[in-house]
Amino acid sequence: MTFRQQIEGLSGQNTNLCYQCSKCSAGCPMAEWMDLKPAQLMHSIRLDLEDRVLNSTAIWLCVDCETCTSRCPQKVEPAAVMTAARVLATQKGVTPSVKEVSIYYRGFVDNMRLNGKIHDASVAGITQLLTGQLRDNLPLAWKLFIRGRVKPPPLPLGGGEFRRLYNSALAIEKDREERR
Amino acid sequence: MKYGYYPGCSLEGISVEYDISIRNLFKLLGVAVTDLPDWICCGTLAAPSISRLLGVVTPLWNVARAEEEGFDQLVAPCSACVYHLKNAVRQVADNGPLRDDVEAVLGRALNDPPVVVHPLEILTNDGFESRIRQLVRRDLSELKVVNYYGCHISRPADVMQFDDPDNPQSMDTLLGWVGVQTLEWSGKVDCCGAHFSLIKPDVVVDLSARIFEAALRSGADAIVVACPMCHANLDTRQTRLTEKLGRSLEMPVLYFSQVLGYAMGLEPELLGLNKHIVDPLPLMLEKCRGRQVEISSSARTEEIAV
Repeated sequence: MTFRQQIEGLSGQNTNLCYQCSKCSAGCPMAEWMDLKPAQLMHSIRLDLEDRVLNSTAIWLCVDCETCTSRCPQKVEPAAVMTAARVLATQKGVTPSVKEVSIYYRGFVDNMRLNGKIHDASVAGITQLLTGQLRDNLPLAWKLFIRGRVKPPPLPLGGGEFRRLYNSALAIEKDREERR
Repeated sequence: MKYGYYPGCSLEGISVEYDISIRNLFKLLGVAVTDLPDWICCGTLAAPSISRLLGVVTPLWNVARAEEEGFDQLVAPCSACVYHLKNAVRQVADNGPLRDDVEAVLGRALNDPPVVVHPLEILTNDGFESRIRQLVRRDLSELKVVNYYGCHISRPADVMQFDDPDNPQSMDTLLGWVGVQTLEWSGKVDCCGAHFSLIKPDVVVDLSARIFEAALRSGADAIVVACPMCHANLDTRQTRLTEKLGRSLEMPVLYFSQVLGYAMGLEPELLGLNKHIVDPLPLMLEKCRGRQVEISSSARTEEIAV
């Protein structure tokens, strides 16, 4: 299976429909920080440039605002393609080009495994600790705390249902991967 | 109509004022909502970034649970939750093999799941206009606001099926019913940077600066939002924005539910107006003409019943 087919399988998108009008790049709020702009990323996928795509900062900087998807005249969903590329990069063990983002997503899901829901202050605190931003954010954390907007962390007892979904979903995907 | 309520994680933490104001507004309007029992997080962008199937099955677990409870609609005030719940429903509707996997993980079939809606959809679509107009107790005709819709109220249109993705109107309509001046501006559907506030705050400060510049140009007193992420980013980053914009910035950021509730005479505490970083109360008091006696929500419910 080519790289393009892998992305298309995961995202449910046909990248060959893209005719490079670049409305996605023009509207993307994160484009100025991306190495590959969304339209370039779409084209790179069609050219099977796996390393270039999976090592790009673009796939990690996408915030999923859906402006690209909303404006695409061909009804392709670049945001879904970006998400698929992140999953593929992780599966293939590619070092994330913007590591803070992957630390956040991983930490978020790990927090869900404790309680099913996340405890937002923990996710924020852990992310900021691991990315060296905790000290800058402490004054704000205090302001939120005195306004009653930081609740105490719950005991990690409620994640049973989510843990079941997590194990089962990942097992199905792994099984399918191995059979391939 | 039997409404289930899916608060989402933010409304139990940093955005508790949104939860308080929505619940009291619903109470006042006679919209009875029941919390979805033992709901789990929708997974937002994190779960689908780890695994495709997990990203779809996590929101759908909640939808399936809501179906079990017999809800007609599932109301989620967080626009990111609404988006991920609606998107998961759409994805399995379009994709047979994915649906099979989802049902295998859930251990049940999705037959007739309830429709997921944002509170704005209920208030603008379900015939509340005369009731809302009737309940106005404070004259806020001097308050000028811009409505900031952000990303997921109406975008992408195929998934959200609500309002106009490029020029949404629902909040403008609602606030118009209670007599607030809503201004035209260019920032309505721009992105605030969402969760990047925790990852790359500089990016969020840049994106928020553009939103505030547009709001200031329009002459607004405040920005009104309908998403906890938008609120957190705009309300909590103003000290840094003051440095960036080179001018003092202290612009209240309010939830639409707070403005509606305030116009309808609810006490500020019943709307969480005391919990913001940028205190909105001085502005509300200044702009409120013809102030009425504040009434607690239970007293108002009795008043409405009579």
